[in-house]
Amino acid sequence: MAGKIRQMIDTIISQRAKDNAMLAGVIKTKLMLKGIDPGKFTLQSPDDPAVIGKLEILMKEL
Amino acid sequence: MNIKTAFSVMPDSQNAVADIRAQLKGFNPKLVVFFASSTFAPDEIAERMEEAFPSAETFGCSTSGEIVTGKMLTKSLVAMAFNKRAVKDCKVEIIENLNKESYKAFNAFQRHFKKPMKDLDPHKYVGIILVDGLCCKEELIMDKIGDLTNVTFIGGSAGDDLKFENTYVYANGKSYTHSAVLAIMKPSTEFSFIKTQSFCQLPQKLVVTKANEFTREVFEFNGKPAAVAYAEALGTSVEEAKSRFMHNPIGLVFEGEPYVRSPQQITGESMHFYCSVKEGMELSLLESTDIIASTKKALDDAQTELGGLSGVVNFNCILRTLELGQKGLTEDYGKVFENVPTVGFSTYGEQYIGHINQTATMLVFR
Repeated sequence: MAGKIRQMIDTIISQRAKDNAMLAGVIKTKLMLKGIDPGKFTLQSPDDPAVIGKLEILMKEL
Repeated sequence: MNIKTAFSVMPDSQNAVADIRAQLKGFNPKLVVFFASSTFAPDEIAERMEEAFPSAETFGCSTSGEIVTGKMLTKSLVAMAFNKRAVKDCKVEIIENLNKESYKAFNAFQRHFKKPMKDLDPHKYVGIILVDGLCCKEELIMDKIGDLTNVTFIGGSAGDDLKFENTYVYANGKSYTHSAVLAIMKPSTEFSFIKTQSFCQLPQKLVVTKANEFTREVFEFNGKPAAVAYAEALGTSVEEAKSRFMHNPIGLVFEGEPYVRSPQQITGESMHFYCSVKEGMELSLLESTDIIASTKKALDDAQTELGGLSGVVNFNCILRTLELGQKGLTEDYGKVFENVPTVGFSTYGEQYIGHINQTATMLVFR
Protein backbone atom coordinates (compact mmCIF):
# COMPACT_ATOMS: atom_id res chain seq x y z
CA MET A 1 0.00 0.00 0.00
CA ALA A 2 1.11 3.60 -0.51
CA GLY A 3 0.19 7.19 0.09
CA LYS A 4 -1.38 6.94 3.52
CA ILE A 5 1.38 8.93 5.21
CA ARG A 6 1.03 11.82 2.75
CA GLN A 7 -2.73 11.85 3.25
CA MET A 8 -2.36 11.83 7.03
CA ILE A 9 0.19 14.66 6.97
CA ASP A 10 -2.05 16.77 4.75
CA THR A 11 -5.06 16.11 7.00
CA ILE A 12 -3.17 17.04 10.16
CA ILE A 13 -1.84 20.26 8.67
CA SER A 14 -5.17 21.35 7.19
CA GLN A 15 -7.19 20.56 10.31
CA ARG A 16 -4.71 21.99 12.81
CA ALA A 17 -3.62 25.03 10.79
CA LYS A 18 -6.95 25.90 9.12
CA ASP A 19 -5.33 27.94 6.31
CA ASN A 20 -3.01 29.78 8.74
CA ALA A 21 0.40 29.72 7.06
CA MET A 22 2.31 30.43 10.27
CA LEU A 23 0.58 27.58 12.08
CA ALA A 24 1.18 25.27 9.13
CA GLY A 25 4.91 26.03 9.45
CA VAL A 26 4.87 25.23 13.17
CA ILE A 27 3.06 21.94 12.59
CA LYS A 28 5.55 20.95 9.89
CA THR A 29 8.37 21.73 12.34
CA LYS A 30 6.70 19.56 14.99
CA LEU A 31 6.60 16.73 12.47
CA MET A 32 10.28 17.23 11.64
CA LEU A 33 11.15 17.04 15.32
CA LYS A 34 9.19 13.78 15.51
CA GLY A 35 11.49 12.51 12.78
CA ILE A 36 8.90 12.86 10.03
CA ASP A 37 10.00 15.11 7.15
CA PRO A 38 6.72 16.27 5.61
CA GLY A 39 8.46 17.12 2.35
CA LYS A 40 9.73 13.61 1.78
CA PHE A 41 6.43 11.76 1.52
CA THR A 42 4.28 11.59 -1.60
CA LEU A 43 1.18 9.67 -2.58
CA GLN A 44 3.55 7.03 -3.91
CA SER A 45 5.51 6.66 -0.66
CA PRO A 46 5.11 3.22 0.92
CA ASP A 47 3.13 3.01 4.16
CA ASP A 48 5.71 2.84 6.98
CA PRO A 49 3.92 1.50 10.11
CA ALA A 50 6.24 3.35 12.50
CA VAL A 51 5.55 6.71 10.85
CA ILE A 52 1.84 5.96 10.61
CA GLY A 53 1.81 5.14 14.32
CA LYS A 54 3.27 8.54 15.22
CA LEU A 55 0.80 10.32 12.97
CA GLU A 56 -2.14 8.39 14.41
CA ILE A 57 -1.32 9.75 17.87
CA LEU A 58 -1.37 13.26 16.50
CA MET A 59 -4.63 12.69 14.63
CA LYS A 60 -6.22 11.30 17.77
CA GLU A 61 -5.72 14.67 19.43
CA LEU A 62 -7.57 16.52 16.66
CA MET B 1 4.82 50.31 32.64
CA ASN B 2 2.91 47.05 32.99
CA ILE B 3 5.93 44.74 33.03
CA LYS B 4 8.61 45.37 35.60
CA THR B 5 11.82 43.57 36.54
CA ALA B 6 13.75 43.33 39.76
CA PHE B 7 16.91 41.63 40.91
CA SER B 8 18.84 40.99 44.09
CA VAL B 9 22.38 39.85 44.79
CA MET B 10 21.67 39.36 48.52
CA PRO B 11 23.14 35.94 49.37
CA ASP B 12 20.28 34.64 51.53
CA SER B 13 16.75 33.99 50.36
CA GLN B 14 15.06 36.07 53.10
CA ASN B 15 16.88 39.26 52.21
CA ALA B 16 16.90 38.55 48.46
CA VAL B 17 13.13 38.11 48.35
CA ALA B 18 12.61 41.15 50.58
CA ASP B 19 14.80 43.12 48.18
CA ILE B 20 12.72 41.98 45.18
CA ARG B 21 9.50 42.79 47.00
CA ALA B 22 10.74 46.26 47.87
CA GLN B 23 11.65 46.95 44.23
CA LEU B 24 8.16 45.89 43.15
CA LYS B 25 6.39 47.84 45.90
CA GLY B 26 3.21 49.45 44.63
CA PHE B 27 3.25 47.44 41.38
CA ASN B 28 0.53 44.93 42.38
CA PRO B 29 1.53 42.02 40.12
CA LYS B 30 -0.85 39.42 38.74
CA LEU B 31 2.01 37.13 37.70
CA VAL B 32 5.62 36.90 38.83
CA VAL B 33 8.17 34.70 37.11
CA PHE B 34 11.49 34.33 38.88
CA PHE B 35 14.81 32.63 38.33
CA ALA B 36 16.99 31.83 41.31
CA SER B 37 20.61 30.82 41.59
CA SER B 38 21.13 27.28 42.82
CA THR B 39 22.87 28.83 45.83
CA PHE B 40 19.42 29.49 47.30
CA ALA B 41 17.76 26.63 49.18
CA PRO B 42 14.96 25.54 46.83
CA ASP B 43 12.14 25.10 49.33
CA GLU B 44 12.93 28.44 50.96
CA ILE B 45 13.09 30.49 47.80
CA ALA B 46 9.87 28.98 46.46
CA GLU B 47 7.99 29.54 49.70
CA ARG B 48 9.29 33.07 50.26
CA MET B 49 8.46 34.21 46.73
CA GLU B 50 4.92 32.83 47.08
CA GLU B 51 4.51 34.61 50.42
CA ALA B 52 5.95 37.87 49.07
CA PHE B 53 3.30 38.09 46.33
CA PRO B 54 0.15 36.49 47.76
CA SER B 55 -2.13 38.00 45.11
CA ALA B 56 -0.06 36.77 42.19
CA GLU B 57 0.71 33.49 40.50
CA THR B 58 4.42 32.89 41.06
CA PHE B 59 6.59 30.33 39.37
CA GLY B 60 10.23 29.87 38.43
CA CYS B 61 13.24 27.59 38.52
CA SER B 62 16.86 27.19 39.55
CA THR B 63 19.54 28.36 37.17
CA SER B 64 23.11 28.28 35.95
CA GLY B 65 23.26 32.06 35.92
CA GLU B 66 20.66 34.78 35.74
CA ILE B 67 19.82 37.50 33.25
CA VAL B 68 18.13 40.82 34.01
CA THR B 69 17.84 44.08 32.11
CA GLY B 70 21.32 44.99 30.94
CA LYS B 71 23.14 42.37 33.00
CA MET B 72 24.26 38.78 33.22
CA LEU B 73 24.55 37.76 36.85
CA THR B 74 25.43 34.84 39.05
CA LYS B 75 24.29 33.90 42.54
CA SER B 76 21.31 36.20 42.21
CA LEU B 77 17.53 36.23 42.18
CA VAL B 78 15.79 37.89 39.25
CA ALA B 79 12.09 38.43 38.68
CA MET B 80 9.68 39.79 36.11
CA ALA B 81 6.28 40.99 37.29
CA PHE B 82 3.22 41.45 35.09
CA ASN B 83 0.26 43.51 36.33
CA LYS B 84 -3.33 42.96 35.28
CA ARG B 85 -2.93 45.41 32.40
CA ALA B 86 -0.15 43.20 30.98
CA VAL B 87 -1.81 39.84 31.54
CA LYS B 88 -5.56 39.30 31.28
CA ASP B 89 -5.44 35.75 32.58
CA CYS B 90 -2.92 33.11 33.57
CA LYS B 91 -2.82 29.63 35.02
CA VAL B 92 0.15 27.75 36.38
CA GLU B 93 0.22 23.97 36.65
CA ILE B 94 2.79 21.43 37.71
CA ILE B 95 3.43 18.12 36.01
CA GLU B 96 4.92 16.10 38.81
CA ASN B 97 6.83 12.97 37.98
CA LEU B 98 7.46 13.31 34.28
CA ASN B 99 7.32 9.56 33.79
CA LYS B 100 3.59 9.60 34.28
CA GLU B 101 0.76 10.98 32.18
CA SER B 102 0.37 14.73 32.20
CA TYR B 103 -3.37 14.94 31.60
CA LYS B 104 -4.06 16.24 35.10
CA ALA B 105 -2.33 19.52 34.26
CA PHE B 106 -3.93 19.84 30.84
CA ASN B 107 -7.38 19.08 32.25
CA ALA B 108 -6.83 21.85 34.80
CA PHE B 109 -5.99 24.27 31.99
CA GLN B 110 -9.16 23.28 30.17
CA ARG B 111 -11.29 23.83 33.26
CA HIS B 112 -9.69 27.23 33.91
CA PHE B 113 -9.91 28.60 30.37
CA LYS B 114 -13.24 26.83 29.75
CA LYS B 115 -12.20 25.34 26.44
CA PRO B 116 -10.17 22.35 25.24
CA MET B 117 -6.43 22.85 24.82
CA LYS B 118 -6.81 22.31 21.09
CA ASP B 119 -9.20 25.24 20.85
CA LEU B 120 -6.98 27.82 22.60
CA ASP B 121 -6.08 30.48 20.05
CA PRO B 122 -2.27 30.58 19.66
CA HIS B 123 -2.44 34.29 18.83
CA LYS B 124 -4.10 35.06 22.17
CA TYR B 125 -2.49 32.53 24.50
CA VAL B 126 1.14 31.65 25.11
CA GLY B 127 2.78 29.04 27.28
CA ILE B 128 5.95 29.09 29.33
CA ILE B 129 7.55 25.79 30.30
CA LEU B 130 10.29 25.23 32.86
CA VAL B 131 11.58 21.68 33.19
CA ASP B 132 13.90 19.82 35.52
CA GLY B 133 17.16 20.12 33.58
CA LEU B 134 18.50 16.71 34.57
CA CYS B 135 15.49 14.54 33.80
CA CYS B 136 16.03 14.11 30.04
CA LYS B 137 12.27 14.27 29.52
CA GLU B 138 12.03 17.57 27.68
CA GLU B 139 11.39 15.96 24.30
CA LEU B 140 8.57 13.81 25.64
CA ILE B 141 6.75 16.67 27.33
CA MET B 142 7.18 19.04 24.37
CA ASP B 143 5.98 16.33 22.01
CA LYS B 144 2.90 15.76 24.14
CA ILE B 145 2.17 19.50 24.40
CA GLY B 146 2.62 19.87 20.66
CA ASP B 147 0.10 17.11 20.02
CA LEU B 148 -2.48 18.64 22.35
CA THR B 149 -2.46 22.29 21.43
CA ASN B 150 -1.46 24.93 18.88
CA VAL B 151 -0.48 27.28 21.71
CA THR B 152 3.27 27.86 21.55
CA PHE B 153 5.16 26.83 24.63
CA ILE B 154 8.57 28.41 25.09
CA GLY B 155 10.99 27.95 27.94
CA GLY B 156 14.07 26.39 29.38
CA SER B 157 15.50 23.56 31.42
CA ALA B 158 16.40 24.45 34.99
CA GLY B 159 20.09 24.58 35.90
CA ASP B 160 22.27 24.24 38.98
CA ASP B 161 25.41 26.21 38.23
CA LEU B 162 27.08 23.33 36.39
CA LYS B 163 27.03 20.99 39.39
CA PHE B 164 24.64 18.59 37.57
CA GLU B 165 23.29 17.33 40.90
CA ASN B 166 19.76 18.72 41.39
CA THR B 167 17.70 21.24 39.48
CA TYR B 168 14.35 22.58 40.65
CA VAL B 169 11.21 24.14 39.27
CA TYR B 170 9.06 26.28 41.54
CA ALA B 171 5.31 26.85 41.79
CA ASN B 172 2.62 27.06 44.45
CA GLY B 173 5.28 27.99 47.02
CA LYS B 174 7.04 24.66 46.59
CA SER B 175 10.05 23.25 44.83
CA TYR B 176 9.88 20.19 42.62
CA THR B 177 12.31 17.84 40.95
CA HIS B 178 11.65 15.56 38.00
CA SER B 179 8.79 17.90 37.19
CA ALA B 180 7.78 20.67 34.84
CA VAL B 181 5.99 23.94 35.43
CA LEU B 182 3.60 24.95 32.69
CA ALA B 183 2.10 28.43 32.64
CA ILE B 184 -0.46 29.56 30.09
CA MET B 185 -0.89 33.31 29.83
CA LYS B 186 -3.35 35.47 27.99
CA PRO B 187 -1.33 38.67 27.50
CA SER B 188 -3.09 41.96 26.95
CA THR B 189 -0.55 42.90 24.33
CA GLU B 190 0.88 41.30 21.23
CA PHE B 191 3.68 38.84 21.75
CA SER B 192 6.18 36.97 19.62
CA PHE B 193 9.09 34.59 19.84
CA ILE B 194 12.78 34.67 19.16
CA LYS B 195 14.86 31.57 18.49
CA THR B 196 18.46 32.54 17.86
CA GLN B 197 21.32 30.10 17.75
CA SER B 198 24.35 31.86 16.20
CA PHE B 199 25.41 29.09 13.83
CA CYS B 200 25.77 28.70 10.10
CA GLN B 201 25.08 25.47 8.27
CA LEU B 202 28.03 23.65 6.73
CA PRO B 203 27.64 21.27 3.77
CA GLN B 204 28.58 18.11 5.70
CA LYS B 205 25.59 15.87 6.40
CA LEU B 206 25.29 13.29 9.16
CA VAL B 207 22.40 10.87 8.75
CA VAL B 208 21.47 9.09 11.96
CA THR B 209 21.57 5.40 11.08
CA LYS B 210 21.54 3.99 14.62
CA ALA B 211 20.52 5.74 17.84
CA ASN B 212 18.73 5.47 21.15
CA GLU B 213 16.56 8.56 21.28
CA PHE B 214 15.65 8.01 24.94
CA THR B 215 19.24 8.01 26.17
CA ARG B 216 20.21 10.69 23.61
CA GLU B 217 22.93 8.43 22.28
CA VAL B 218 23.92 8.08 18.64
CA PHE B 219 25.76 4.93 17.69
CA GLU B 220 26.12 5.53 13.96
CA PHE B 221 26.08 8.35 11.47
CA ASN B 222 26.07 7.48 7.77
CA GLY B 223 26.48 3.80 8.65
CA LYS B 224 29.76 4.48 10.46
CA PRO B 225 30.57 4.75 14.19
CA ALA B 226 29.19 8.12 15.25
CA ALA B 227 32.40 9.58 16.63
CA VAL B 228 34.33 8.53 13.53
CA ALA B 229 31.73 10.04 11.19
CA TYR B 230 31.61 13.29 13.20
CA ALA B 231 35.40 13.57 13.20
CA GLU B 232 35.53 12.88 9.46
CA ALA B 233 32.95 15.61 8.87
CA LEU B 234 35.19 17.99 10.80
CA GLY B 235 38.29 16.77 8.97
CA THR B 236 40.05 15.82 12.18
CA SER B 237 40.70 12.95 14.58
CA VAL B 238 38.18 11.58 17.08
CA GLU B 239 40.38 12.85 19.92
CA GLU B 240 40.55 16.35 18.47
CA ALA B 241 36.84 16.29 17.66
CA LYS B 242 36.03 16.31 21.39
CA SER B 243 37.35 19.85 21.63
CA ARG B 244 35.13 21.03 18.78
CA PHE B 245 31.72 20.32 20.35
CA MET B 246 30.92 23.90 21.28
CA HIS B 247 32.12 25.38 17.98
CA ASN B 248 30.68 22.66 15.74
CA PRO B 249 27.49 21.09 17.03
CA ILE B 250 25.05 19.51 14.62
CA GLY B 251 21.54 20.57 13.75
CA LEU B 252 18.29 19.49 12.24
CA VAL B 253 17.81 22.18 9.61
CA PHE B 254 14.27 22.77 8.41
CA GLU B 255 13.37 25.58 6.01
CA GLY B 256 16.68 27.25 6.79
CA GLU B 257 16.23 27.10 10.59
CA PRO B 258 18.68 24.97 12.56
CA TYR B 259 17.39 23.11 15.61
CA VAL B 260 20.69 22.50 17.37
CA ARG B 261 21.75 19.20 18.89
CA SER B 262 24.87 19.75 20.98
CA PRO B 263 27.33 16.92 21.53
CA GLN B 264 27.94 16.14 25.17
CA GLN B 265 30.59 13.45 25.08
CA ILE B 266 32.14 10.66 23.08
CA THR B 267 31.89 7.24 24.72
CA GLY B 268 33.90 4.67 22.83
CA GLU B 269 32.75 5.34 19.30
CA SER B 270 29.26 6.56 20.26
CA MET B 271 28.23 10.11 20.93
CA HIS B 272 25.91 11.43 23.62
CA PHE B 273 23.99 14.61 22.98
CA TYR B 274 22.15 17.11 25.15
CA CYS B 275 19.10 16.51 22.99
CA SER B 276 17.31 13.51 21.53
CA VAL B 277 18.32 12.43 18.06
CA LYS B 278 16.09 10.07 16.09
CA GLU B 279 17.11 7.41 13.61
CA GLY B 280 16.64 8.57 10.06
CA MET B 281 17.18 12.26 10.85
CA GLU B 282 19.43 14.02 8.38
CA LEU B 283 21.54 16.44 10.38
CA SER B 284 23.95 19.13 9.27
CA LEU B 285 27.29 20.11 10.72
CA LEU B 286 27.11 23.66 12.09
CA GLU B 287 29.72 26.29 12.76
CA SER B 288 29.47 29.02 15.38
CA THR B 289 29.16 32.67 14.41
CA ASP B 290 28.92 35.91 16.40
CA ILE B 291 26.55 35.48 19.38
CA ILE B 292 26.38 39.20 20.17
CA ALA B 293 25.68 40.29 16.59
CA SER B 294 23.11 37.59 15.87
CA THR B 295 21.29 38.09 19.18
CA LYS B 296 21.20 41.84 18.68
CA LYS B 297 19.81 41.39 15.18
CA ALA B 298 17.17 38.95 16.41
CA LEU B 299 16.08 41.40 19.10
CA ASP B 300 16.04 44.31 16.64
CA ASP B 301 13.95 42.26 14.20
CA ALA B 302 11.45 41.46 16.97
CA GLN B 303 11.32 45.13 17.91
CA THR B 304 10.55 46.00 14.29
CA GLU B 305 7.97 43.22 13.99
CA LEU B 306 6.04 44.32 17.08
CA GLY B 307 6.71 48.04 16.85
CA GLY B 308 8.44 48.13 20.21
CA LEU B 309 9.14 45.81 23.15
CA SER B 310 7.91 46.06 26.73
CA GLY B 311 9.39 42.81 28.04
CA VAL B 312 11.68 39.93 27.16
CA VAL B 313 11.98 36.54 28.87
CA ASN B 314 15.27 35.01 27.72
CA PHE B 315 16.07 31.32 28.01
CA ASN B 316 19.77 31.34 27.11
CA CYS B 317 21.71 28.11 26.83
CA ILE B 318 24.50 27.68 29.37
CA LEU B 319 26.79 26.70 26.49
CA ARG B 320 26.26 30.18 25.02
CA THR B 321 26.92 31.68 28.44
CA LEU B 322 30.16 29.70 28.73
CA GLU B 323 31.26 30.71 25.24
CA LEU B 324 30.53 34.36 26.03
CA GLY B 325 32.57 34.02 29.20
CA GLN B 326 35.50 32.45 27.36
CA LYS B 327 35.50 35.31 24.87
CA GLY B 328 35.10 38.04 27.50
CA LEU B 329 31.71 39.02 26.10
CA THR B 330 29.45 38.41 29.11
CA GLU B 331 28.96 42.09 29.79
CA ASP B 332 28.37 42.83 26.11
CA TYR B 333 25.61 40.21 25.97
CA GLY B 334 23.89 41.74 28.99
CA LYS B 335 24.01 45.13 27.31
CA VAL B 336 22.10 43.79 24.30
CA PHE B 337 19.09 43.80 26.65
CA GLU B 338 19.72 47.10 28.43
CA ASN B 339 16.91 49.01 26.74
CA VAL B 340 14.02 46.63 27.40
CA PRO B 341 12.81 45.04 30.67
CA THR B 342 14.39 41.59 30.52
CA VAL B 343 14.60 38.58 32.74
CA GLY B 344 16.03 35.17 32.03
CA PHE B 345 18.52 32.54 32.95
CA SER B 346 21.25 30.24 31.66
CA THR B 347 19.56 26.97 30.89
CA TYR B 348 20.40 23.29 30.51
CA GLY B 349 18.30 23.23 27.35
CA GLU B 350 15.75 25.37 25.60
CA GLN B 351 12.23 24.69 24.46
CA TYR B 352 10.46 26.16 21.46
CA ILE B 353 8.24 23.77 19.52
CA GLY B 354 10.67 21.06 20.64
CA HIS B 355 13.77 20.69 22.79
CA ILE B 356 16.96 22.30 21.49
CA ASN B 357 20.47 23.27 22.54
CA GLN B 358 22.91 26.17 22.25
CA THR B 359 20.05 28.50 21.50
CA ALA B 360 18.40 31.49 23.12
CA THR B 361 14.64 31.17 23.02
CA MET B 362 12.81 34.30 24.03
CA LEU B 363 9.24 35.34 24.66
CA VAL B 364 8.86 38.99 23.75
CA PHE B 365 5.97 41.35 24.51
CA ARG B 366 4.98 44.46 22.60
